[in-house]
Amino acid sequence: MIGQFIDGPLWTFSLAVFLIGVIWRIVAILMAGNRPDLATPKGSAGAGALRALFSRFLPERTVATHGRLQLIAGYLFHLGLLALLFFAQPHIDFIADRITGLSWPAMPHWAFIVAAELAFAGLILLWLYRILNPVTRLLSDLDDHIGTILVFLVMLTGCLALAQAFEPLRLIHLLLAELLLIYFPFSKLMHAFTFIMSRGYTGATMGRKGVNA
Amino acid sequence: MIRSKILQFDSGDGTPAGWLLLLLLLLYSLPLDTIAKEAVSRGLPSAAVLNPAAELWRDVRQRDQPTTGSTQVRGVDSGVLINAYGDRWRKFRMQQLIPIGGYMLMGIVVVLAVFYLVRGKVPIEGGESDRKLPRYSTYERMIHWFIASIFLFLAITGLILLFGRPVLIPMLGKETFSILASACKEGHNLMGPLFLLALILVFIKFVRRNIYQKGDLSWLLRGGGIIGPKHVPSNFFNMGEKTMFWMLVLVGSLIVVSGLVLVFPLFGQGREWMELAHVGHAIGALLMIGVIIGHIYIGTIGMEGAIEGMKTGYCDLNWAKEHHDLWASRAEARGEALSNEAVGQLRDLDPLPSSLGARTQEAGK
Amino acid sequence: MARMKFYCDPERCIECNACVTACKNENEVPWGVNRRRVVTINDGEEGERSLSVACMHCSDAPCATVCPVDCFYTTQDGVVLHDKDICIGCGYCFYACPFGAPQFPEDGAFATRGKMDKCTFCAGGPEADNSSDEQRKYGSNRLAEGKLPLCAEMCSTKALLAGDADTISEIYRKRIINRSASVMARGVSYRDASFRAPYNAAGKSSAKE
Repeated sequence: MIGQFIDGPLWTFSLAVFLIGVIWRIVAILMAGNRPDLATPKGSAGAGALRALFSRFLPERTVATHGRLQLIAGYLFHLGLLALLFFAQPHIDFIADRITGLSWPAMPHWAFIVAAELAFAGLILLWLYRILNPVTRLLSDLDDHIGTILVFLVMLTGCLALAQAFEPLRLIHLLLAELLLIYFPFSKLMHAFTFIMSRGYTGATMGRKGVNA
Repeated sequence: MIRSKILQFDSGDGTPAGWLLLLLLLLYSLPLDTIAKEAVSRGLPSAAVLNPAAELWRDVRQRDQPTTGSTQVRGVDSGVLINAYGDRWRKFRMQQLIPIGGYMLMGIVVVLAVFYLVRGKVPIEGGESDRKLPRYSTYERMIHWFIASIFLFLAITGLILLFGRPVLIPMLGKETFSILASACKEGHNLMGPLFLLALILVFIKFVRRNIYQKGDLSWLLRGGGIIGPKHVPSNFFNMGEKTMFWMLVLVGSLIVVSGLVLVFPLFGQGREWMELAHVGHAIGALLMIGVIIGHIYIGTIGMEGAIEGMKTGYCDLNWAKEHHDLWASRAEARGEALSNEAVGQLRDLDPLPSSLGARTQEAGK
Repeated sequence: MARMKFYCDPERCIECNACVTACKNENEVPWGVNRRRVVTINDGEEGERSLSVACMHCSDAPCATVCPVDCFYTTQDGVVLHDKDICIGCGYCFYACPFGAPQFPEDGAFATRGKMDKCTFCAGGPEADNSSDEQRKYGSNRLAEGKLPLCAEMCSTKALLAGDADTISEIYRKRIINRSASVMARGVSYRDASFRAPYNAAGKSSAKE
């Protein structure tokens, strides 16, 4: 009963909310527009945008030297999550089955679990840092904690359902993933998409001014 | 020799009649084999010649070492006809591990409850002072809670798997429990290796303060303040904490290594190794869970002010003087003590601020 | 009530592995799983003997004792079966079993084993007899059709016997009586390897029932 609801209508609904919400948010940001910059350009805005977009995958030097654990944990979490989200066999099967109809090569099972472990370590350490470091604790609001806990619960229930043999465990994982999808567009989790625009905007401004930053 | 020992052990009472019987048995049991063998080698028909098939089975069944044959079936141990260790492992698990382990854990909880009822919460004698000392940095607290959360997860899932059948199946039923057990098994296997990572981080950070020192013996002799006058002087960590640290490192390593043997059955380790690993894993884990229950007791309801350092990074000056006198007086002499108001304001400050934290703080103002 | 047992007669087993193949084919077991295997000891030496081993359907089965989710049960025929819907693939039955009967379809890192699989005495599982679910999970249910396990049924030398313990032991007892005469006459043990009658000793074969 409830299983059919989670597996059927709720999944469709959450996916729709996610897609429409993300598009709406991105369009809203793009529609906000830019005031025309009348100054003579001293460099290429496009090149600056691209440079900022990719160069900032690497950390700034002060960050790299002062917050090594947070830095490593951050990379572990994001790379691990990316790998296990898109290159784990069950996820590829699910995406192919339910969304795109396309599948691609998966990584081996052990690599999937290693990725999950690294992502777990990163997420737990980052959240602990968030609540234990006075600065980040002050900066964090409810949204940050809900986002972190939702992602954590989705990962945890996924890990508990690894045997892929017990339907209730899969449904709990799916339910939490659906809640995450619904929550996603209205939260800071949107940074998964908006980082491109924010970096691009800064980079373009800098590039136009001829500043390499 | 061995046989005689076993018999002695079995007879137990040691009455003269028993000894006589034993002697007779010994006299008879030894030469019979020889007689039988001679009969065989001389090719004489004899009642001692046994059915060859039975003889073969006895060989296969020998308990000292498994007879290994060859087989077309690939796999570790597939040539072993009878693995006698399995039975020993079963007896250990069902007759010793589960009942004794269960009573041990319950006993620890009961002892702590009684202790709490008798002693109550250990107060800060001098009352809370108006000053605090910075005790743990953010990083130290981070890795503490990291290993704590992973340990708790592993302990709970492990205990569910160990005691689920006698305790939870009657409550939940087999179908529901198997779902829970599968979740616990997968979670335990996945999170297990993270404990190794956490253990390494904790070891590197805390090992220097946990090396045993001169005052530790007197701390032990006075039962950490339970026996005799209170206020046993101790350094940053007292003898009990140091012992817990080394238990965590040593028993934790045993748990990690045996766990890895169990969770990566890829290196040709046969059943015997896995059974052995399981025994080590279970004993080590139960021991460690017992120790951690005590640790949690002191941190929460057992002692006033004990958890503050791990929660906020600062501890009360009076608490520090009562429990970690040597460290507290040194820290106070260095001028590390801060007034409560300052700490209240600085609760948003990293207790041991890095330059980045300090800079962000200034920028925040 | 019948009490089902296997018995493998090492004096008759010729290590042809037909029982292994028959089992795989009849039950369509997953790749890598061998519910039955033939082990040869003293291979190529004097006293070579082969034995076909699978789940022995113990009366007091160690696997059932240690299973943390209690997924084993014994049928009225004395066959030890397990419920794959409950099994969590922990591998404890594999540690406890003296015969190495429990098998797992996978043996990957992080102890991914899949559900345990073992000889069912061709008696299927807890599902309805010969349902498609039962067929898929446990293989065939010959017992429900009034047949014995295929491995024993097609053993060419009748070394592997399966059926009611009383019948099996009666057959085996007769074999022993027959053989013990020659054993007594020669006074040899299996280790001397001369127990099997030589080819030219017509009419003295021990390999009779």
